Amino acid sequence: MSAETAAKVNGWEPKIVAFCCNWCSYGGADSAGMGRFQQPPTARIIRVMCSGRIDPLHVFNAFLEGADAVLVTGCHIGDCHYVNGNDKTKIKYKFLESVVRELGIEKERLQLNWISASEGEKFANFIRDVTEQIKKLGPSPLKPEGVA
Amino acid sequence: MQKGEMLIGWSTKEDVRKRGGSGGLVTSVLAAALEKKLVDAVVVLRKINEFEAVPIITSDVNEVLNSAGSLHSVPSNFAKLIADRNLKIALPAKGCDVRAIIEQSKRNAINPDNTFIIGLNCGGSMHPVTTREMLDVLYKIKPEDVQGEEIEKGKLIFETKDGKEHAITIDELEEKGYGRRENCRYCMLKIPNNADLACGNWGVTGDLVGKATFVEINSEKGAKLLQNAIDAGYVQIQKPDEKGIATRAKIKGAMEGLGKKWKEKVFVPLDNRLEYFRKELEHCIDCGACKTVCPTCSCGDISKCTEFHSRADPYRMSMYHLVRFLHLADSCIGCGQCSDVCPADIQLARLYRRFANPVQEELKYEPGIDLRKPPYFEAKLEV
Repeated sequence: MSAETAAKVNGWEPKIVAFCCNWCSYGGADSAGMGRFQQPPTARIIRVMCSGRIDPLHVFNAFLEGADAVLVTGCHIGDCHYVNGNDKTKIKYKFLESVVRELGIEKERLQLNWISASEGEKFANFIRDVTEQIKKLGPSPLKPEGVA
Repeated sequence: MQKGEMLIGWSTKEDVRKRGGSGGLVTSVLAAALEKKLVDAVVVLRKINEFEAVPIITSDVNEVLNSAGSLHSVPSNFAKLIADRNLKIALPAKGCDVRAIIEQSKRNAINPDNTFIIGLNCGGSMHPVTTREMLDVLYKIKPEDVQGEEIEKGKLIFETKDGKEHAITIDELEEKGYGRRENCRYCMLKIPNNADLACGNWGVTGDLVGKATFVEINSEKGAKLLQNAIDAGYVQIQKPDEKGIATRAKIKGAMEGLGKKWKEKVFVPLDNRLEYFRKELEHCIDCGACKTVCPTCSCGDISKCTEFHSRADPYRMSMYHLVRFLHLADSCIGCGQCSDVCPADIQLARLYRRFANPVQEELKYEPGIDLRKPPYFEAKLEV
């Protein structure tokens, strides 16, 4: 059974890998829980100390391992715990974005968002929006055989 | 003598002038630099046969003088050869060699102050294997009979041992899939103004055609190199005429126009990109040769791309290539070494350029042109 037909039969849910920085967006995810903002259980959060740590190849590896979407989140520009870590993220992301586009992966599958520790609602909304978009797109074309 | 000056020069040694291409100026400059101890070593090509040569690093003046005169079909890149050697070195270099050397300098593998680059105008090079096949199929002559080769007025001319000349236009050859290597066709750097000297036969007029070289001095180092050769009595120079300078600019413009056309022809927009890349990379055997020869890569044996991939992974696409795509998106200089060495004949340069073209255009970052421009990631952080 191909991934696409399986999706239709089993009520497929997308798998989203969300990279969150320790100081802001991880806190944002936390306060989304504390504030009881509803969000679909599709995101797998990977905590990194700074969004600048996210190497483009982490993103590609996530796709190859079967992620349907990858989210890069960090502190707002200017709020970085390490002064300019998210400036580096921005440069890397711009780069990554165009490689992903040239490779032929839909642009909705890779998204960047700045979420601070107090923006729990923004985090929950972000996950919900992305899940909706990915559900429309279907499973990622890079998903390996046998991974739901 | 100063930066920006244009001159016409030739070797004073009759033997070198006759044997070497366009008056043997480059050979003489290299020999003079070595003799006057301006450099410790130079890179020259040692001829194996009419179609192949290996680059060597030598400190022997005679070896340099003997190297004069090589064919167009030597697509090796010198940057990796001289990287990580603490030598004062002078070398001749095509446009892509120069770009590779500059990229290696940015990565601290080459010291630019110790490297004298003599740039050579280059309209493209040919792969030895393709050339042999082309001679057999299109020219109907035995590769072993070839004595000399020349490009004139858009025609590729081979001279055989019996003194006959065989000419076919380059356009015709390339339509049939022979001729220059693919990356050379869409290369846009025809006169290497990023080297210390830019030498070539474009712009040489009158009686001097074929017997002299047109030189443009691009840096202080270049002026020093040329002055040294004149002082040593190896080289004679004169001023070029207005017509010559105009001709040179015209040829450059025409070649670049052709390059642009090829670029559009090769990089047609794709419908299903992902499928295309997967199909192209299907035959990859993970030998890593493309990374080993890549002149802009200076990662060494242990690097992200090689460490991240194993044949056991059930991935749809090779992680190795994805990392390579990423790394080359900002730094690919389009030299085509990867396609040449690939044992599975994957047109890797074409795949890498698919990513590099839009990225480099978008970011307005052209690798290997300006030494003062740091690698892309660092450049943006300074602002």
